[in-house]
Amino acid sequence: MMKRILLLVLFLLLSCDRGVSVVVHEDENPGVFLDKVVLGSSLALKGHASYLGTQTLHGALAYINMVNEDAGVHGRKLELVTYDDSYDPPKCLINTQRLIIEDKVFALFGYVGTPTTVKVLPLVDAARIPLLGMFTGANALRKPFNRYVISVRPSYYKETKEAVRHMVQDLGLTKIAVFYQYDAFGFDGLTGTELALKDLGLEPVARGSYTRGSLDVAEGVARIKDSGAQAVFMIGTTVPCIKFIQEMNRAGVKPVYYTVSFIGAREFAKHLGKKSNDTVIMSQVVPPFTFSGDLKHSEANEYIQMLKSSYPDDNPSLVGLEGFFNARVLVEGLRRAGPDLTREKFVDAIESMGDYDLAPGVTISFDGKDHQGMDKVYFTRFNDGRFEVLVDWERLRRSIER
Amino acid sequence: MKRFSNLSLKNKIFFSTLGVILMISAVIALLARGILVSSLTSELELRGVAIAHSIAERGGGYILDKKYPELLSLVFDEATLGERQHLITYIFILSKDEEVLCHTFTTPFPENLDKVNPVAEGGYKSVRLIDFGKSSAYDIAVPIKEGLYRIGTVHVGLSKVHIDKLVSTLRITFLGFISFVVVIIFLISHRLAKYITSPIAKLTRVSDELSRGNFDISLDMLSSDSGWDASECPVYHNTDFPCWHFDQALFKNDRDLTSHQDSQQCRNCHFYIKRDGDEVVQLADSFRNMVWSIKLYRRRLRESEEKYKSMFDSGPDPILVISCIDFRILDVNPRVSELYGYSREELIGAEFLLLGPESNIECIKAFEEYGGPSGCIYYPKILHHKKGGSAVYVNMHACPITYKSSPSMIVAITDITEIIEKDAQLVQAAKMKSLGEMSAGVAHEVNQPLNAIKMGSEFLALMAEQGRDVSADQLSEVANEVSTQVDRAAEIINALRAFGRKADFKVDKIDINEPLRSVLTLVTRQFELQNIIFEVGLTEGLPHIVAQDNRLQQVFFNLVNNARDAISEKREKSGLDTEEYIKINTYGESGGVCVRVSDSGVGITEEVRNKIFEPFFSTKEVGYGMGLGLAITYGIVRDYKGIVDIESDVGNGATFVISFPVASSEA
Repeated sequence: MMKRILLLVLFLLLSCDRGVSVVVHEDENPGVFLDKVVLGSSLALKGHASYLGTQTLHGALAYINMVNEDAGVHGRKLELVTYDDSYDPPKCLINTQRLIIEDKVFALFGYVGTPTTVKVLPLVDAARIPLLGMFTGANALRKPFNRYVISVRPSYYKETKEAVRHMVQDLGLTKIAVFYQYDAFGFDGLTGTELALKDLGLEPVARGSYTRGSLDVAEGVARIKDSGAQAVFMIGTTVPCIKFIQEMNRAGVKPVYYTVSFIGAREFAKHLGKKSNDTVIMSQVVPPFTFSGDLKHSEANEYIQMLKSSYPDDNPSLVGLEGFFNARVLVEGLRRAGPDLTREKFVDAIESMGDYDLAPGVTISFDGKDHQGMDKVYFTRFNDGRFEVLVDWERLRRSIER
Repeated sequence: MKRFSNLSLKNKIFFSTLGVILMISAVIALLARGILVSSLTSELELRGVAIAHSIAERGGGYILDKKYPELLSLVFDEATLGERQHLITYIFILSKDEEVLCHTFTTPFPENLDKVNPVAEGGYKSVRLIDFGKSSAYDIAVPIKEGLYRIGTVHVGLSKVHIDKLVSTLRITFLGFISFVVVIIFLISHRLAKYITSPIAKLTRVSDELSRGNFDISLDMLSSDSGWDASECPVYHNTDFPCWHFDQALFKNDRDLTSHQDSQQCRNCHFYIKRDGDEVVQLADSFRNMVWSIKLYRRRLRESEEKYKSMFDSGPDPILVISCIDFRILDVNPRVSELYGYSREELIGAEFLLLGPESNIECIKAFEEYGGPSGCIYYPKILHHKKGGSAVYVNMHACPITYKSSPSMIVAITDITEIIEKDAQLVQAAKMKSLGEMSAGVAHEVNQPLNAIKMGSEFLALMAEQGRDVSADQLSEVANEVSTQVDRAAEIINALRAFGRKADFKVDKIDINEPLRSVLTLVTRQFELQNIIFEVGLTEGLPHIVAQDNRLQQVFFNLVNNARDAISEKREKSGLDTEEYIKINTYGESGGVCVRVSDSGVGITEEVRNKIFEPFFSTKEVGYGMGLGLAITYGIVRDYKGIVDIESDVGNGATFVISFPVASSEA
C-alpha cells in the first residue's frame, strides 16, 4: 500500500489558546495498487431486500470476474469488498466508513437502495470518493450535481413521469393514488409522481405509507381503498407491496398497480402468484427480456452468458442486468482513466463517455454536467405469472375497460 | 501643523471633517468588531456545545445498546444537517474507556485526537483548539451521562476556517458599511466645504478685481438676484448730496430720515434691506455694501481731486512741487510755464536751482535738514531767472508736503517784479525830492569852491591889469587853490550824482562807513550853515555787511534829514537858533553791525512812534513831506535783514539804531 504519512510539525501555540496539534493520516490515491484496484460496496445481502442486493452483486461480479480473468484493466485486477447492510441506512453508513478508512477502497460501487445510498452522500462528499452504479433512482443522488456520484440508471422521477404519462394519456386513468415506503425512497417516488401529475394539472387522490422493514400496510390500504383511485403507484419493496395488493383485493378494490424498477420483477411475480389477475405495471430501466424467445440477440445476451459462467445456479434477472451494466461502466471508466489511476482521472474518464454502447441498442452517455447515464424507461406488465414487455398500451386500455 | 494651516479653508473643513469621521469610524469599527467577533465566536461555540449535548442525549441509548451504526448515523445526521456541515469538521464519540466508538472522519482517526481534549471529571464541557496541519478546529467535548456517571464523551470539531470565514464576512460587511459611511461623509463634507468656501472664493475673486480697480463687475457678481443698481442712487452722481447711510456719522444731528424729501428713495436702498440667508449670504451683502462704499468714496475722492487739480492748474500763482530728495521739480501748474518761459516738459525733472541758482540754495538747505521745517517758510523778494536769463523778483512760500509718499515741498510763487519796479520808482521819486530839498544847500556848497575860484581868477586878472608880476609862489598858490576847489566841487557833484542814481537790486559786501561818508560829504557843510554840528564817530575795521551802497546812502540821508527837521522843529518852537548836533556812531555788536544816529531835536512821541514807519505818515506840514522817508528806510533795512530801533525822549531828541547782520564769510 502506498501510504504516506504526513507528519506536520507545528509551532507551539500560545498557551492561552489551549491549542494542540494532532497528526492526520491521509492516503494518497488509496485503493490503487500495481496489480489490483480495490472497490467497495455496501448492499443488502440479507433481509427483505437481499434479492436486490444479491442479484445486483452477481450481475456486476459476472462481468468483473470475466474482466479479471482477462488480466484486468491496465494490469490491475478488480477487487470488490462487499459488506451487508441489510437495507439499513446506519449499517450502510458504518460499512461505507469502514470501506473508506480501513479498506481504503478506490471507489464505491453497486450500492442498493435509496435510503442507504442517500445516507452515505456526506461521506462521499467529504472523502471525495467516486460512487458509481447505485441501484436507486433517487433524485437526491442527481440533484444537486455531485462530481463524485455517477448514476447509470434513470431517476425515479423519470420513471414515475413516464408512468404517469402512460396512465393518464394512454389508459385514461386520472385518479391516481400513491402507496409509498415512509423513507427517502418512498418520498422520492411520491415527489416524482406528484411532479408528473402536477405537469398534467392533477394531484394524487390519496396517499398511503408503510414503515420500512414492516408489513403494516393497513393504514395505507385504509387511506387508498375508498379514494376511488383508478391506479395506485407503489413505491416500496416487494413484500409490503404484495401485501398491499392482497389487502386491496380483500377490500374489493382492483385498481391498476404500478411499481418502479426497485422491485425485482421475478421475485414480485413469484409472490403475486400465477393465478393473480391483478393488473400490475412495472417500469424498468434496463431493456427487459423474457425467456420465451431466443435471447441470443437480446441486449441481455452477454449478461446471461457471463452470469452462467460465474453463477450457474442463478437465473438471469433485470436487477442482475443492471448490476452488469454498472460493472461495464465501471470497467470502461477504469480503462479510459489510463494506467496512472486516480479518483479524479476516473471521474474525468467517466465524463468522457458519450454515447457509449453498453449492449446492442443500449447506449449511455456522461459529461461534465450530467452524471445520469441512461434515460430510457421500459414498461412491463404482469401477465400469466410473469412480467412481459408492455408495448401495446391500447390493448391494455381495452382490457382494463372490460 | 504648519502644512495644515497652509491649506485652503475648503481643505481644512474637508480634512478635519473627514479626519474626525475616520477616527470615529475606526473606533466604532474596532469596538464593534471586537464585540461582534467575540460574540460570534462564542455563539458558534455555544452552537457546538448545543450539538454535542443533543448528540449526548440522543446517543446515550445507542451506546448502552451498543448500536454503533445507529450512533454513527445519528452523528452523521447531526454533522450534516443543513448548514452545519460547513461549521462542523468532525464529530466523534468516545466510550467510557476512551475508545473511539464512531467518528465522522473519512480518513483514519487522527492520532491522539481522542486524548488531547479530555473533559475533567464532573466537568460540563471542554473547548480546545486543535491543529490538523492543513486546518484547525475547536474541539468541544461534552460528556454523555447515564444518571450520574459518564458513559462516553462527544467531541464536536468546529471548523476554525469556517468560523474565521464567518468572522471575516462579518468584518468585511462591517468594514464595507463603515467605508460606505466614510464615502458618504466624504462626499457630504466635500460638498459642505465647497458650499461654504465657494462664496468666499468668489468674494476673494471680487476683492482681487476690486484691488485691480475694477469696480464695475463686482456688484453684479454679488447681488445678481436683486434688481437694484447702486449707480442709480442719487448720491452716486451728486457729490454734494449726502448719503444718509455713509454720512450719518458726520451728519448725525442733521439726519432726519422721515422729514427729508428724499428719504423714500433711501428706504429702497439696499443697505437697509437684509436678505434672508445664512452667514455666507450676510457676508456677501456686507461685502457688497463695502464695495458700494468704496465705489462711492472713490468717486467722491476723484471729484475732490479733480477740484483741487483744477485749482492747482487754474490758480493765479505759479505753484511747483519739488522733491525733497533730489530737489527736482515734480509738478508745476501752467502759471509756472507762463512766468518762467520754460515748457512744462522742460520743467518736470529739472533742478529747482534752475529757477534761482542763488536764491533757492537757502530754501534747499532748509529742506535738506532731516524732516524739513515744521511749517511753511517765506522767502520775500528773491531773485529768480526766466528762461533766457532775465531776472524776475518773486515772493516764495515753501511748504513741506508728502507727494506720492515721498517728502516734498510745495512752492508757491508770487511775481513781484512789477511791485519792486514801482517801489524803486517811488524810492527814486522820494530821493529826487530830497535832492530838490537839498539843491539849495548843495548849490551853496558848490558856490563856495566857485567863489574861491572866482577870487583866485579875479586876483590874477587884477595882477594882469595892473601889470604886476605875479610871483611864482603866488601863482602856484592860486593854481593849487583853484585845483583844490574844483576837486571839491567835483566831489560834491559826484556824491550828488551817486545819490541820485537809480539803484538796482544788486547786493554787495560793503563797509557800512562808506555810504555814511558819502552822505556826510553832501550834507555836512550845509548842516553846518544851519548851525547843526555832526559828531561823527566811525569805528574802522568793522565786518562787512550784505547791502547796496546807494540804497544805504538813501537810508542814512533820510535819517540825517529827519534829524535836521526835528532840530528845525525844535528851533521853530523855541525861536532860538541854538547850536544843535547830530551824533553818528558805527560799532559792532554781537554778530551785527550797528549805526546809531542821534539828534537833539524834538523827539518822537509814543503815539507817533507806532506809526512812524507807515507810508505816507508825516508829522510835517502838508506839502513839506511825502511821509515816505522812514517807510522807505524801513523797507530797505528789512531788505538787508536789518532792524531799526528807536529810542526817544520827547523834547530831548531821538535815536535811531540800525543793525545789520554780518555777512557770512563764504557768501
